[in-house]
Amino acid sequence: MSETLPQSVQTEAPATAMDRRSFLRTGLGGALFLGTVSVTAGLSGCASAPAGRDYPMPEAMDQSYEFRFLTRDDIVLFKALLPAMVGPGLAEEQVVRRQQIQATIERIDAGIHQFGPANQKELRGLFDLLNFGLTRVTVARVWSSWENVSPETAHAFLERWRTSGIGLFNNGYIALTKVSNVAFYGHPDHWHLSGYPGPPGFAVDSLPQFKDNA
Amino acid sequence: MSLTDRIARGLEAGWKVTDGATLTHNQTHEADVVVIGTGAGGGTTAEILARAGLSVILVEEGRLYYQKDFKMNELDAYASLYQEGMSRVTKDGAIAVLQGRCVGGSTTVNWTSSFRTPDPTLNHWASRFGLDDLSPDAMRLWFDGREERHNIEPWVTDPNVNNDILRQGCEALGWSWEVIPRNVKGCWNLGYCGVGCPTNAKQGALTTTIPGALDNNARLFHGLRADKLVMKQDRIDHLQASAMAADGVTPSGITVELKAKHFVVAASAIGSPGLLLRSDIPDPHNRIGKRTFLHPVNATIAEMPDTVDPYYGAPQSIYSDEFNFSRGVDGPAGFKLEVPPLHPAMSAGVVPGHGEQQVSDLSKLPRMNSVIALLRDGFHPDSPGGTVSLRDDGSPVLDYPVTDYLWAGLKDAFYKMAEIQFAAGAKQVRLMHLDSPWYTTWADTKAGIDKLTMAPHRVRLFTAHQMGGCGMGNNPEESVVNGFGEHHQVTNLSIHDASVFPTSIGANPQLSVYALAARNSTRLAQKLRS
Ligand SMILES: Cc1cc2nc3c(=O)[nH]c(=O)nc-3n(C[C@H](O)[C@H](O)[C@H](O)COP(=O)(O)OP(=O)(O)OC[C@H]3O[C@@H](n4cnc5c(N)ncnc54)[C@H](O)[C@@H]3O)c2cc1C
Ligand code: SF4
Repeated sequence: MSETLPQSVQTEAPATAMDRRSFLRTGLGGALFLGTVSVTAGLSGCASAPAGRDYPMPEAMDQSYEFRFLTRDDIVLFKALLPAMVGPGLAEEQVVRRQQIQATIERIDAGIHQFGPANQKELRGLFDLLNFGLTRVTVARVWSSWENVSPETAHAFLERWRTSGIGLFNNGYIALTKVSNVAFYGHPDHWHLSGYPGPPGFAVDSLPQFKDNA
Repeated sequence: MSLTDRIARGLEAGWKVTDGATLTHNQTHEADVVVIGTGAGGGTTAEILARAGLSVILVEEGRLYYQKDFKMNELDAYASLYQEGMSRVTKDGAIAVLQGRCVGGSTTVNWTSSFRTPDPTLNHWASRFGLDDLSPDAMRLWFDGREERHNIEPWVTDPNVNNDILRQGCEALGWSWEVIPRNVKGCWNLGYCGVGCPTNAKQGALTTTIPGALDNNARLFHGLRADKLVMKQDRIDHLQASAMAADGVTPSGITVELKAKHFVVAASAIGSPGLLLRSDIPDPHNRIGKRTFLHPVNATIAEMPDTVDPYYGAPQSIYSDEFNFSRGVDGPAGFKLEVPPLHPAMSAGVVPGHGEQQVSDLSKLPRMNSVIALLRDGFHPDSPGGTVSLRDDGSPVLDYPVTDYLWAGLKDAFYKMAEIQFAAGAKQVRLMHLDSPWYTTWADTKAGIDKLTMAPHRVRLFTAHQMGGCGMGNNPEESVVNGFGEHHQVTNLSIHDASVFPTSIGANPQLSVYALAARNSTRLAQKLRS
């Protein structure tokens, strides 16, 4: 199978893996645990407020987007994950690449806003777990803070969650990849990657909703 | 924009349509009947009651979108037209729930396949739930009527390649296949039914029964969420509802009270039991929310040697019932085989993966075919369905454990779908499962499926057909409403949507909803006028 990784990558953090696994084995334990993390993260001063217009993308050309769900920490998290997530789909050229990442994170935020409160709460738990130092290390087994995580390390993390025998981690993998993949491949800027030519031209040319002032 | 659009013309002509987001003060309104939900069931009900001369108020949580908004754009459509911005899942996250949330409900985004309720299903309902009045003979006239109302006819244009692969595979294997009847008029064969039909060809509630109701003086509130039915003694006195801001997700704080003689709930599976639970509707036998069914769907994708363009053309035009009822109505889990349309955002969400592998998989889109199996749940004792409950914030959530009985059916479906794709000439096939590689031969695939872990999350599961949760039946101890959709305990409450089905349908459900709602609304109109 093409995506299987060498054993050394999969077992990157041997030390505490087994006790975490048994701790998280039951869905209930997992759910409670995620809840606790959210509270702990909140108490310990992790930025849980939406980033608004104040977010760490100094390189961004356009600062007009207002984040309504993602926190500053979440943005850092996705900046680290996207290069592994959409990998070679991103442009080589650094300025373009950064713009692609920024625009994708903005679309992820806009999409999550429409999810409504219940699923936002689920994602809050997941993102807090990944951002909070203690759980990032023990549960995600990512040693450095996301700012310093390389695409290779991010990829290894995603692989661990994809291939894990624990449903909760598979679920986390699906949640992260789904919001990222939809926001990235679904946008016209990246349609060329899937070879999708866009809506049929003859329809666009003849339908009233595509005319100016429609 | 020219006023050839039915909705644009109606609004211009003074239809009574109110956007909840524009309301600035709390208010009360009154009508003969309040209908909650504007999808297949709600639209049908509102039109029939309004034509009978009753005053009707329609309440829809989602917003009014119509031709001017339908620009064949996936990201906008998923965010605005679907429940929870397309993020709805079952309680443990294992099944993605596709469900509409806009005027027209799921019919505004559905794929236009239009089947009558299969005879074995109706016969099973008669013998198992005492629903003898819904026999195939008795229902025929209602199916005839709704097929006319929604312009339902077998698709005469050639199937697109995506659908033709299902036909070719079945043909090669000697398995049955048929052409799908569709509810369209002057269809451009574009393939964008799932993001709102841009040409108004689709004859869903939005272009048929909703305009029909509004032409007959019905009043529509959209962007208004039904929160609670409030009882006074043994009858419902009024509906309490919350206006939503223009973003469609944030309550604005304005509330609306709607009084009526009769209330018809048509917020569909998950939504209707949710409303009844929030309202503390009498439920002496604890039936509300139980037996919710999904037609759980699993899928395979294939790389074909030639162009498929699975994003263009009528999304569904061929199906196979070879394995649906063939092993008995209550035997091993049967399934209907169909294909889904594949646009880039949908594909990126359905095909699990990341990184280089994902770029490579999605780059195959123009040559990609997908087959889906829709499992017929609810017919066997080991398929009792799921249960709707309320979250802390009052929103409904469905707990749907996948039983071993269903896993066996899903595994069986993986074999059949892959075999069809290879028989139709696939170069390689991938199962929608976290562990699946691309297989290049049928023999390898078979060996792979033999060893496959059938577990939640690892098998990617979907549902576009939510049914049950307010099941109908003759015995009040095991159902919520009778065969006319009348609530067993509360006399001025009816339920007219997919939530009343006591099992899944075993076919795409919209025509079953239309027909039953038409029958039960015709009776309700007679009762209310006398
Ligand atoms: C992507 C997709 C493809 C499909 N394809 C097909 C197909 O090809 N053929 C087929 O037969 N079926 C198809 N279906 C399913 C079919 O459309 C539904 O089974 C059918 O529309 C159900 O009718 P309903 O009246 O029960 O609910 P719906 O049509 O879903 O309408 C329910 C309405 O109630 C509203 N509502 C919910 N809660 C509240 C509340 N609290 N207050 C106010 N309003 C509320 C919802 O927003 C919604 O608009 C598809 C569905 C989807 C999502
Ligand atoms: S195929 Fe296109 S034109 Fe036909 S009903 Fe679907 S969206 Fe409308």
